[in-house]
Amino acid sequence: MKKKLLAMVMAGAMVLGLAACGEAAPAPAAGDAAPAADAGAAETAAPSGGSGEGIRLVNGKIEVDAMLKEAAALYEEETGKHVEIESMGGGVNIQDTLKGYYQADNMPDIFVCGSDADFGNWDGMLVDMSGEKWASDTDAAYKNDFGTIGFPYTTEAIGLAYNADLLEKAGVDPKSITGPDAMKKAFETLDSKKDELGLTAVIGWCTEPKDLYWSTGSHSFANYLDSGLSRDDTTYSDMLADGGKIDETRFEHYAEMVGLFNQYSDPALLTSGTYDQQILGFASGKYAFVTQGSWIGATMTSDDKDAYAEAGNFKCGMAPYAFEDGIDTILTNSPSWWAVFDNDNKADSLAFLQWLSEDKGQEILVMKAGFISPFKSCTFVAEDPFAATISEYTAAGKTSSWHWLKNKAGMDQNALGQVYADYALGTIPDAKAFTSTVSQVLQQYYAE
Amino acid sequence: MKTNSTGSKMFSLILLAAGLIGLIGALAMDFSGSQNAVRGPMLIIGVVLFFVGLYFFPTLKYHRQIVYVIFLFPLLFSFAVTVIIPLLLGIGYSFTDWTGIKFTQVVGFANYIAMFKDPAFIWSIFITFIFVVMNMVLVNLFAFLLALLCTSGMKGVGFFRASYFLPNLIGGIVLGYIWQFVFNNVLIKITGGISWLVQTRTALMAIVIVYIWQYAGYIMLIYVTGLTQIPGDVLEAAKIDGANATQTLFEVKIPMLASTFTICTFLTLTSAFKQFDVNMALTNGTGSVPNFLGNYLSNGTQMLALNIYNTAIAKNNYALGQAKAVLFFIILACVSLVQVRISNKREVEL
Amino acid sequence: MEEGRMVGKAAKVRRVVLTIVGTIIAAYVLFPFYLVVLNAFKAQTSIVASPISFMGASFDQLKTNLSSVVNNSNFNFWYAFGTSFIITVVSLVLLALFGAMAAWVISRNNKKKWSAVIYMIFIASMIIPFQVVMLPLISTFRDVGKFIGISMLQSVPGIVFAYCGFGGAMTVFILTGFIKGIPYDLEEAAAIDGCSPEGTFFRVIFPLLKPVITTVTILNGMWIWNDYLLPSLMLGQNGKVKTLPVAVQAFVGSYVKQWDLILTAALLAIIPMIIIFLFAQKQIMNGMIEGAVKG
Repeated sequence: MKKKLLAMVMAGAMVLGLAACGEAAPAPAAGDAAPAADAGAAETAAPSGGSGEGIRLVNGKIEVDAMLKEAAALYEEETGKHVEIESMGGGVNIQDTLKGYYQADNMPDIFVCGSDADFGNWDGMLVDMSGEKWASDTDAAYKNDFGTIGFPYTTEAIGLAYNADLLEKAGVDPKSITGPDAMKKAFETLDSKKDELGLTAVIGWCTEPKDLYWSTGSHSFANYLDSGLSRDDTTYSDMLADGGKIDETRFEHYAEMVGLFNQYSDPALLTSGTYDQQILGFASGKYAFVTQGSWIGATMTSDDKDAYAEAGNFKCGMAPYAFEDGIDTILTNSPSWWAVFDNDNKADSLAFLQWLSEDKGQEILVMKAGFISPFKSCTFVAEDPFAATISEYTAAGKTSSWHWLKNKAGMDQNALGQVYADYALGTIPDAKAFTSTVSQVLQQYYAE
Repeated sequence: MKTNSTGSKMFSLILLAAGLIGLIGALAMDFSGSQNAVRGPMLIIGVVLFFVGLYFFPTLKYHRQIVYVIFLFPLLFSFAVTVIIPLLLGIGYSFTDWTGIKFTQVVGFANYIAMFKDPAFIWSIFITFIFVVMNMVLVNLFAFLLALLCTSGMKGVGFFRASYFLPNLIGGIVLGYIWQFVFNNVLIKITGGISWLVQTRTALMAIVIVYIWQYAGYIMLIYVTGLTQIPGDVLEAAKIDGANATQTLFEVKIPMLASTFTICTFLTLTSAFKQFDVNMALTNGTGSVPNFLGNYLSNGTQMLALNIYNTAIAKNNYALGQAKAVLFFIILACVSLVQVRISNKREVEL
Repeated sequence: MEEGRMVGKAAKVRRVVLTIVGTIIAAYVLFPFYLVVLNAFKAQTSIVASPISFMGASFDQLKTNLSSVVNNSNFNFWYAFGTSFIITVVSLVLLALFGAMAAWVISRNNKKKWSAVIYMIFIASMIIPFQVVMLPLISTFRDVGKFIGISMLQSVPGIVFAYCGFGGAMTVFILTGFIKGIPYDLEEAAAIDGCSPEGTFFRVIFPLLKPVITTVTILNGMWIWNDYLLPSLMLGQNGKVKTLPVAVQAFVGSYVKQWDLILTAALLAIIPMIIIFLFAQKQIMNGMIEGAVKG
């Protein structure tokens, strides 16, 4: 009898051990399975993880995580359908994570894609949404040979963001920044009045390569590619696609401007700062300019709202990155899109996106998340610090598009980010050396 | 007695049969492409029932053998599935154009040739070797000095030993972020200037410092053990012979610790080779090399393990990453062989 | 007499000097811990302004930080903590049990060829770096899991299974060395008393293994609890199931570099280890030494 008892214990241990290899049976059930060692035990199978628990959206803008969750909650309240929001920050390589999810059979139903290469990863696996109602309400959807596969959720702008109140106090007219000389003069004026204006530095510009490579390697570099061009002009982007070539004259002008930023940025921020630090510095009035786009408005009015209020809720604007005379545009575009993965949940996913494009969804996206709606029928206007300046440029037709979607995948992280950091550190001494290094690095990267 | 035996034979046979039916049924479903959720648990329960039946099989002659099989199975099975099979597959995959999901053709040594044409990879090998050598020397030096300190009869040895060892308890990821904070936010404040993590040279130094911080306390413990195991009469004899502290150290203690030195050297060597977590959390491989074999590199602090990971996971080149991993394996295997050689030789000498 | 006093005095001075040196080194070693604890009491702005002073530190702020970390839905601290805990404990129990079983069989048959071969394979496998098996491991687990209908990735049982496989070699190695030293007479006596082989193992041998099982449990425990790469590959960098190191990486990896939350999270991740260390300091240090000397 003792022998049998021992055997039971052992068998129990074995079952536990082997059940450990299996997903389904929860631990107590596995323990019970040993005494019930008869044929009936085979029926105690737990249901495998089905997909009946709603849909999942992978969002690439961690700063609007809370607002998207709010929208999802409202949607669930209205329709009873659960939407899980999973947000990833800019330091996470979202496409790589998604590839991992694909490998692990854990694909989200809706996920963010920001470039041709991103969409290319999922060729044939995305739902063509051209038949959706919202598709006829916008010009900003992402389309390619596979149809309308990207849902636009916001419009963003990249320009030289400034603190209008500070500039006014210093007697600098932002409208005067129309070329490199004027920009330099404005920087010098501000620098000389730093103490009385309470400035830490003239500009908040950060080249930290580990986490902020996207800010330099994609966003700032986009100004070289697109500033001043008409929306469909892809001259420099095409040139880049052709083996990583750059126009050295234009780039050197751009490099001069980057050099100016390096010179007048906050040393504590320049090479090892963080995004938060950069935005907080601008929001609290310590930097007159900042080199991030309109999306920082949402952070300034939520996470940093105390600091922003303390600094007087100053007015914001954007000047063109006028590294050559005559550049008078800022860049606007959809920063990225949401794509729907072709799976059993696609009807639910499409319904959720349609709902987001309508009044209730737009109210949260625009009024709370500070998105600038890409939908024509939307009547909400964000109380965003940059909303006014963007519509001004748009109305005047002074916007360029951006084309970093066409850059070779990973170019910012694996190639350019580090070069910007070196320039800021001084290991690359001047604009000329910066230009030649960038030229070399890009050709190398495109040749790989 | 007889009936009992028949009864347990029946019992055993029923279990064996039920186990086999479950097993075969589940496999049949697998091969027929059924997606029935029952098939997974059925397979597991089938296997378990089979073994339980085997255990109850009433035989005196083979009972011991059966127990041996049952005892060995769980560990050997998981070991084979997680280590042996992937290792063999991995070596095979490194000769193909494997994508992480499938491969379409065998490419021979193309992956191995490609990786040696990549200056970034050669750089990774280069700095890994430098890093390993620096660590081997510095960690052992600091650890040995700490061990001498801890055995020198100072007050509160227990406390000091515990605090030197403390960093070893913490995982590389958490530790990496703590030190990132130290370098980026604290040291800048104290010393001014730019963060150590920004430039390749200083960033490598930073990784070495963090590594020493984490590892020296552990190696110290081993040296302390070695030092306390030196027989008291040997030291006594040295004292009577009039040896001063330095002489005792170099002529008595160090020679007697030879095998401890071998252990510690190889321990630091292999663990420094495999360094991944701290590298990832601290710099993630960033840092520039202006001119290495005529190329500008942006992976200045990326060591081998991280390079392999990034090649496969981030750049999605599984076959190349796998080939690099096989090379990594070969290097480590050589190191281990050398270690075994040296240890054996020493044992023979003793 | 005079000389003796001189020596006594010199020894005293030497002792004080050594203690001072020891204290300075301890201060350097413990400094990062101090920073973590201190800054967990502060808000982001005062951390950035003065990371080493007490300025801005308060218990209220600690409470705020703790609740924002614990309640952060992207971090999900308790869930990650629980997952790590379950994975570690279950893996350790299974490794100790299965490891002892296998080691016993191997050491009691060490004259036989198959046993020697298995043992050699285990020992040789200890030099295999994780990198060389990780990629095929994931694809094998994915394919096999799909085939037999048991999800091996993104699941706790799957990763426990992998830890049993990866920890097996070292566990068997250390345990076998110990069991070989247990006199065979003990088992023969039990057999004469009518004890079955499995009975002998569980009643006679297993209780004797307590000290060495403590050693392997410590070694495996520190490895599994702190491991990042295996769970990040098997569970995903940001999957449904996360261990603590994976959760920390996912949380910090985003560009929201909120040091107040990161350092609080780091503190929470460190504390369990430190508590265990305080209670089992001797066992942990001895276990680490034995593991190193034998490995």
